[in-house]
Order: sequence, then structure tokens, then C-alpha cells
Amino acid sequence: MPSPNSRTRCRRDMENFAFAPAYELPVWPFTPPPELGSTKPVRHPIVIVGAGPSGLTLACDLAQRGVHAVLLDEDDTVGVRGASSRGICYAQKSLEIFERLGIYERIAAKGVTWSFGRTFSGEQEVYNFNLQANSVSRQPPFINLQQFYVEWFLVDRILELGLTDVRWKNRVTRVEQLADGVRLDVETPAGSYTIEADRLIDATGANSPIRTQLGIDAHSSRSTDRWCISDVRFKKPLPTERWTWVDAPFNEGRGVWQHLMADGVWRIDYQMPEDCDTAHISKPEVAGARLREQLGPDVEFEFVWIGPYGYRDHLLDSFRHGRVFFIGDAAHVVSPFGARGGNSGIQDAANLGWKLALVAQGKTDDALLDSYDAERQPAAKQNLQVTSRSARFLAPRSPAEHTLRRAVVALAARHPFARALVNTGRMSAANDYPPAPLLPEGARSVQNLSLRWTDGRETTLMQLLSEGTECIGLWFAPTREQAQAALDAMASLPLRLLAVGGDSGLPTLQADDRLASHLCAGDAGSLVLVRPDAYRAAALANATPEAIASAVRTVLAANERNP
Amino acid sequence: MITEPRIPDPDGFYAALLAAHEGRTEAQSADLNARLVLQLANQCGDQDVLLACIRAAAEEDTTTTKDSP
Repeated sequence: MPSPNSRTRCRRDMENFAFAPAYELPVWPFTPPPELGSTKPVRHPIVIVGAGPSGLTLACDLAQRGVHAVLLDEDDTVGVRGASSRGICYAQKSLEIFERLGIYERIAAKGVTWSFGRTFSGEQEVYNFNLQANSVSRQPPFINLQQFYVEWFLVDRILELGLTDVRWKNRVTRVEQLADGVRLDVETPAGSYTIEADRLIDATGANSPIRTQLGIDAHSSRSTDRWCISDVRFKKPLPTERWTWVDAPFNEGRGVWQHLMADGVWRIDYQMPEDCDTAHISKPEVAGARLREQLGPDVEFEFVWIGPYGYRDHLLDSFRHGRVFFIGDAAHVVSPFGARGGNSGIQDAANLGWKLALVAQGKTDDALLDSYDAERQPAAKQNLQVTSRSARFLAPRSPAEHTLRRAVVALAARHPFARALVNTGRMSAANDYPPAPLLPEGARSVQNLSLRWTDGRETTLMQLLSEGTECIGLWFAPTREQAQAALDAMASLPLRLLAVGGDSGLPTLQADDRLASHLCAGDAGSLVLVRPDAYRAAALANATPEAIASAVRTVLAANERNP
Repeated sequence: MITEPRIPDPDGFYAALLAAHEGRTEAQSADLNARLVLQLANQCGDQDVLLACIRAAAEEDTTTTKDSP
């Protein structure tokens, strides 16, 4: 006679777990590159290796600025073969970048917008947050979308802009640093060739062969925490909110994440025992039983993908090595809690794009490119610290850590103070940059505010930043004399002066309390300098022509010669 | 970190602390202590003082461990 346990197993074994057909992803053709068979290596100003989110964002950012680049990728499609989506949450700063690059509308139409998150312990909600509360942006706090759609939209946009030499099925086999550039050997289905680059950007991801070949230590460490993703479609109506369980009753008291993305696909991520057999826990019948436990007996579902994973982290000491720049996962990898991986790669690209553009156009010195490392390395370090703390809350390492977490969760149910200690991921936010030679005051991101010209036409900060590569000087109520003197002095600098209120003869935006308070400025005559990546780089209380020119030169690492 | 006495009735406080632990298993006592630490930390609310207290308590532990037979 079967025991109750084996009966349960029998019943589950008999359930059929359906799989949805695989996503149909676009494929782009391989075109033999012109350098095949040439004897002397051709020199390109900018070569980007890797067409993932960060490499594509950089190529698109450069093209938007009118700058050519060569983009090499070993594959001919988007996403990762045999896998589902990796990243799914795109944060406001990334969405603002996509708005500036012209693909935000497609992302918003396809993706799932959300701002509300809830955290549960057992059956009880212990904490919730609404990220919309602190937002003044035209873009929402988050949109969830399968990563390959974002990559797809970026490729379409890059091809539409027509300035990037996108080379599919081109695999870099060797790089060599030269005194004034980099030499690359590239393998294609039609043979191998060699090219040179003034500057090489490595966007090849976590296992970067370029980083390995150059012998750069990534200081990597691997977690023993194990998770299993189930991407799944079902008919149970649930709110489009981020739900996390510290200890879910339907997952043997371990963590669970639940998120909706495009095409009605839910990503449900289950924390597994450290020593689990990854092949076993990702079997459809085992994953299906977990899901059945969570959804209840009557909900129909179909799998889109099941995948076990462990996470790791690494961080390069420097993101610039001579003429080679590391962006995205090639430079830093963090645990997935808080969506700080893909988003920081996209923001690396936006940080580097305008700097490369100004240097390539001869408008400033190479020194500006050092600021990429000075700004993004500390940002990655901060992301690593934040995500490591979340990971440790979610996977306590000792009985004492379990005891402390039990105390936090117990108190959080009754006392607001303890809710701040519940850490199921601190969501990706645009990192502030510390004070540095080019940023004496440090810098912080400016959200994509809605603005209005004095004649009533609407605009946004991203629209103002979407053409060319200029800083914007937002000048509060300057006088005509001040404005004229500044225009005369600033003619050769990449700066666009805009007035906010007043009667100066400059293009003028309506005075706006939200803008002034978001910029922490607004006194008549004061000026805020916004960089092309929408970072507030300086605030001048008394904006004389000399003070403005000096601030712009500092931010751009430009001297009197250039421009 | 304040090290001068500030508890108005030290014996009364200590008795109440012991009473709270009475009848509890070791694990239940550990849970109670953890909740208590977090509540007291929020009463203090001063990051520097909290970190100083954590350091001082951790040092105390190494000292006593070393001295114990």
C-alpha cells in the first residue's frame, strides 16, 4: 500500500507540464568585412566588442551623437542561445537613456511598468515600497522586459541611425595593446583578419576573453546560494507588483521572487538549498510541483523556461587599461538582487558615450576618458556593496545570522523601524559620483523632467540632450546683458545656454518650482550645469561668463586650446 | 559611546532582563536578545554610537574568551 508521500508524488507525476514554444528572435546576416585579405591593418577610431545591453547602448549612444564605431559580436542574434532572458528590470535612469536614444516608446509599449513592491515573510506582508513617490521623471521607476527585446530594439535603432559598422559572427581571438591604440585579430566564417583601434571597448560580458588575455584580475568570488528560475504563463490574476518572500511557506521556508514581464510571462525565482542537485531541481516535474504549491490546484500554467543558477561577483580595480575600456559585466558583476547588473552596464555606456564622442571629434583631450573610470568604478563598488548586503540577508551564513534575521522579520511585522532592515534587494538607482578633479562638487543624476518653453511648447530634459553632444547651462532668470556677454565668451564651447524664466533673449523655459527644487537651485542669476549624460555637474551662484567657461572646461577636461 | 552609568535602577533593569529570559530555551533566549538589540538600536539612533557599541562588544568577546580557563 503506498504511503501518503508517494501518493502525493504520484499525483504530481501525473500532471502534464506544458512548455510554450521558444521565442522567435531575429537573425542578422553575416557580411564579409572589407579588411578580409587586406595586408595592412585598417585603423578605426572606436571598436566595441560585444553586442549585449552595454555594447549596444554605447554604439547607439555614439551613433545618436553622429559618431561612427565598429561593433563586433560573435553571434548573429540577440539574447543568449539556449537560455531565456537574463535581466528583466530596467530602472528609470536606463529608461531615460533609452528615451534619449529613441527606443523608450517601444520598450514602454512592450514591457510592464511597475513601481510598487511588497515583501512577505511566511503568509504575512512585512514591508512595501512605492518608488513612484520620489520620481519627477517622465519615465516610470521600472519597466520589466525580457533583455533580448531591449537588445533587439537597440539593434534596430542602431541600424536605423546607420553610423555603426555592425559585424555579426565576428569573434575577437586576440588583442594587443599598442602605444597609441589596440590591434585585434578577428575570426569570421569567411576567414580571419586584423584591424586596429584608437580605442577598444570591451563589452564581452562576465567571462570576457579580452580581460583574461590581458591578464587583468577581476577579484571574483562565487556564492554558494542557489536559485532556480521558472519563467511561466498562467491565468491567475495578480497585480503587476514586485513580490518577494524572505521565507515562503510554499518553498520550504526559502526565498521567492515574483515579477511579470512582457508577453504575460511571470518570472518566479526560487531559492534552493545550498547543496541541491541543480539538474534535479530544474526538472519540469520538480519545478512544476513547486509552482503548483504556490499557485494552488486549479491554476493552469505553461513553462517558458526553467533554469538553475548560482551567482558570483567581480570588480576590476580600474575600468581603463591604456586604450582599452571595460564596460558592463566585463568590468563588474554583482548578485542579481536589486537589478543593478544590466542597469549599471547601460549606465556605464551612457557615461562613456559622450566622452568618447567629444574626444573623437577633437573637442577635448583624452584626459576626459579617465573620468569614466573615476566615476563608474566607484559606482560599481557601491553596487557591489549594496547587492552583497542583500545577498547576505537572503542567505544567512550562520545560526547567529538566522537569529538576527528572524528578529528583523518578527519586528518588521509590527514596527516600522524594523522594515528598513528587511533587505530583499535595494532597487537600482542612478549612482552619485564622488568629487573628483573634473567634478569638484561631485555629480548626481537629473531626472527627465517635463519642461515647457515660454511659448507653451512642451519639451523634456532628454529631448534637450538628444541632439549633438553639449552640456546644458540652465540659467535662472539671467539679464539680457549677462546672457549676451556669456554667449560672446562661450561661442566655441560645447555648451547650450538656456534661461529658466526672465527676459534674457536666450531660449527660455518657463519658471518651474519642480525643476528648481530637483536641481537644488533657482535663485535669480544662478546656473546649473548639466552634462550630456544628464548629471548635474556644477552649480554657480554667480554665473559670470568667466565662471561658466571655467566650469565647462573643468567638466570636459578642456583647456584653452580646445576648443 | 557612553560608559558612565545612566540606568536609573540597574538592579531593577537586570532583574527584568533575567525575568524575560526565564523559562526560555537557549534558542528562544537568543531570539529575544536579537529582538532586544534591534529595538535598543533604534532607540539610540546614532550610527557612530551604534558602530562603537558593536566594536566594543566584539572586543569584549575576544578579551573574555582569551581570559577564560
